[in-house]
Amino acid sequence: MLQYISRRLLVAIPMLLGAMSIVFFAMRVLPGDPCVAMMGDQATTGALADCNKNLGLNRPLAVQYVDYLWRSLRLDFGNSFRQGYPVSDYIGRMFPHTFILVMASAVVAALVGIPIGIISALKRRNPLVDYPLRIIALLGLSMPVFWLGILLLIVFSLRLDLFPLIGGGDLDGVLAMISSGEVFSQPRDFLAAVADVLHHLTLPALALGFTLAATVSRLSRSAMLEVISQDYIRTARAKGQRERLVVYKHALRNMMVPLLTIIGIFVAIALTGTVLTETVFTRPGLGKMLVDAIGARDYPLAQGAITVFTMTIIVVNLVVDMLYAVVDPRITYR
Amino acid sequence: MARPIRLCWFLVLVLAALGAVGLVAPPPAEAQKKILNIAAKEPDTLDPHSSTLGQSQAISRFMFRGLTRFAIKDGKVTTAEVEPDLAESWSLSPEGTIWTLKLRKGVQFHKGYGELTAEDVKFSFERQINKAPGTRYGVNLDVIKSIEVVNPHTLQIALKAFDPIFLLRMVGYQNGYIISKKAVEKLGDQFKWNPVGTGPFYFERHSPREKIVLKAFDKFYGGRPQVDEVHWFDVPEDATKLIGLEKGTFDLLYPEAVTADFADQVQKMGAVIDRRGPGGQERFYINMTKPPFDDIRVRKAFMHAIDRKAIKETMYPGGLARVATSCLPDGYFGHIPMEFPPYNPELAKKLLAEAGHPNGFTIKNYFISKSFFYPKVLTLAQEQLRKVGIVVELQVVEHATFHENIRKNLDPFVLYGGTRITDADPWLSLFFDSKEIPDPATGNKGTNFAHYRGIDDLLTTGRVERDVKKRAAIYHEAQKRIQKDLVCLPISDVPGQWARNPKRVSTPFDPEYGEFSLHYSYNYPELLKVLN
Repeated sequence: MLQYISRRLLVAIPMLLGAMSIVFFAMRVLPGDPCVAMMGDQATTGALADCNKNLGLNRPLAVQYVDYLWRSLRLDFGNSFRQGYPVSDYIGRMFPHTFILVMASAVVAALVGIPIGIISALKRRNPLVDYPLRIIALLGLSMPVFWLGILLLIVFSLRLDLFPLIGGGDLDGVLAMISSGEVFSQPRDFLAAVADVLHHLTLPALALGFTLAATVSRLSRSAMLEVISQDYIRTARAKGQRERLVVYKHALRNMMVPLLTIIGIFVAIALTGTVLTETVFTRPGLGKMLVDAIGARDYPLAQGAITVFTMTIIVVNLVVDMLYAVVDPRITYR
Repeated sequence: MARPIRLCWFLVLVLAALGAVGLVAPPPAEAQKKILNIAAKEPDTLDPHSSTLGQSQAISRFMFRGLTRFAIKDGKVTTAEVEPDLAESWSLSPEGTIWTLKLRKGVQFHKGYGELTAEDVKFSFERQINKAPGTRYGVNLDVIKSIEVVNPHTLQIALKAFDPIFLLRMVGYQNGYIISKKAVEKLGDQFKWNPVGTGPFYFERHSPREKIVLKAFDKFYGGRPQVDEVHWFDVPEDATKLIGLEKGTFDLLYPEAVTADFADQVQKMGAVIDRRGPGGQERFYINMTKPPFDDIRVRKAFMHAIDRKAIKETMYPGGLARVATSCLPDGYFGHIPMEFPPYNPELAKKLLAEAGHPNGFTIKNYFISKSFFYPKVLTLAQEQLRKVGIVVELQVVEHATFHENIRKNLDPFVLYGGTRITDADPWLSLFFDSKEIPDPATGNKGTNFAHYRGIDDLLTTGRVERDVKKRAAIYHEAQKRIQKDLVCLPISDVPGQWARNPKRVSTPFDPEYGEFSLHYSYNYPELLKVLN
């Protein structure tokens, strides 16, 4: 297993390098000068030259590229062109917000999507159950997250006043309490801070989770359909086992492998979904930051964010691959 | 079916429990504070000399002041006159090149950085003139030859030549803000997120992508503001801002764009829109060197084809904007209202036929920004131009790409907006001086998109004229020439607009153009009051 992980991590290096190189050159191929984007109509020729010099953009592209790779190796992504903050600090503050949003929406998507998919597959011959569930899935697929987000905000935040309108809660405080050990000395404060973070997280996670649940339900429906058409299911039923046992003991367990694949795909989809979710709910996070950075041609920030996205997807896929062996004893890694 | 129902109940309970967390009341001290909650976009810096973004300049006004400020006349703030602010008085030498300025005594910088002195003023201007990394407005201070500190409260500024708008350049706006020399020297690059000025509020903290907190400055020379704290939230979406205004989360909104729908919603919830002139102007520049627009008949046909009133009414119905009357906006020194070719598509067709285009022509790959007002205005103009046979094939691109491409002269006519210090000279120089003609061959990225050379002589004369009436006459003549040569068609004068909950926040100035201002809508944020 260790050998397999090492090999996968080694393979990840060129993948990461490839992604970093693509984003480095893609940002520079994109029309639009960072200095013009920053200065707008104040961009006189002299001011532009000064700006390019200050940002190091007057250096040959190859020099910039080598410098970027060398710095990235030391996890130094430079400073944001616009705001001047070190990109690694920025990402360090934003990533936890995006991470918990993805995780929470995964929970929502799994809780909603998987049961819908399974029930829809098992009751596919009962139109009274299957059709409404498929319609729900279709609604989820066609409902943009920003629309659902605004709807949730109007109902639960504006009208019912149950949830905050904006922000991500004091996640920095929670993390600081964990790292300083205050979590044990001041458990009440810690729990209050966690509750505040969850309070801010609920609506965004519901919005993103529900829209993703549609994809999850369709994927789990087809996974379940495939499993229940297998010979061993027919055999189990022929042996006279109760339907519930057939589903729980045989079908669900065998569905785990395709479900894990879904989770791998899900993370990539959810990460892209965070862009709109973070915008509508005005949450801090990597997704919104990345889009703003690309729009502003903030090269270091965009490069840093995409590197982190790529690393996250690589790590999640690695974990998923390893979990295959856990859920399916027939799979071993050498 | 029992299980899904149970699951639903479970979810409802979880939601209710999480919602209940929000019902906990804030601590009493926090509740008694007068907090002004503003929803805007996040500034890119708090160094007032560094940013061109509207939100950065709007928040700067809360923390910084200049030597002069726009005067309050008859209960309104005017951009036509300035009055002393950090400077107490001034005098000009007989030859018109040396200004002696006396500073107000006892003005304190935030966070214990001491009293304002002439050294701070000298430093604030020289860092821009010497183009310290990140500063953007040094070009506006190019007129300065040298700055001499006479004593801690007096300085002399020698100019290269007489500058008729010197006192306007000293206004607390962009290059005019005075910062603490000690703070910049101590904090270095960190100054941009640890600003130190003399304004009514001081910087407390910044949570990136969330909010900036400012606090009332007890030692503000104009007296402590009534507002205890300003919470400046990063809210990019206008829809979210509106929900927040209705809910009471926000008291003031700085919207991306004020549309009719936005204004309706603001009105329905009982809030008001504070309109501040002169705001920005949206206008077309026609590149007079690019065929077929090198023929004045085609330029005239273009102008007859554009229904300016219809565009303005579609974009900004009623009082949301005014049809512009000159390419030098109303509110700028030297402005006079002008007539432009009226909407007349038949005449436009006739002129095109006379110019050898009886069937019109097609403009391929016309680049337009996907941001702000650009795509909407251009789509309306596209439809109007199509009716006379001018087909414009649009390519909607990122804002940065748009800026890049118009400086490569890829668009034969350019839609543009902007705000500048409110005098004819900087405005006309930027958009009509031949030195500003963009040229990819030389790398000139100027903004004279019309490639106009017709008023260079007037601009030169205007810069040395000391008689106010004669100066005004020079710029009147400049506008007449621009009008005659048909190189610029102004569409709408759009005021700066913020939405305000009047039950929560009051301002002494009338919502309808009670202030004239620049990028910020509130010249005097210390006069804002939080009500119960």
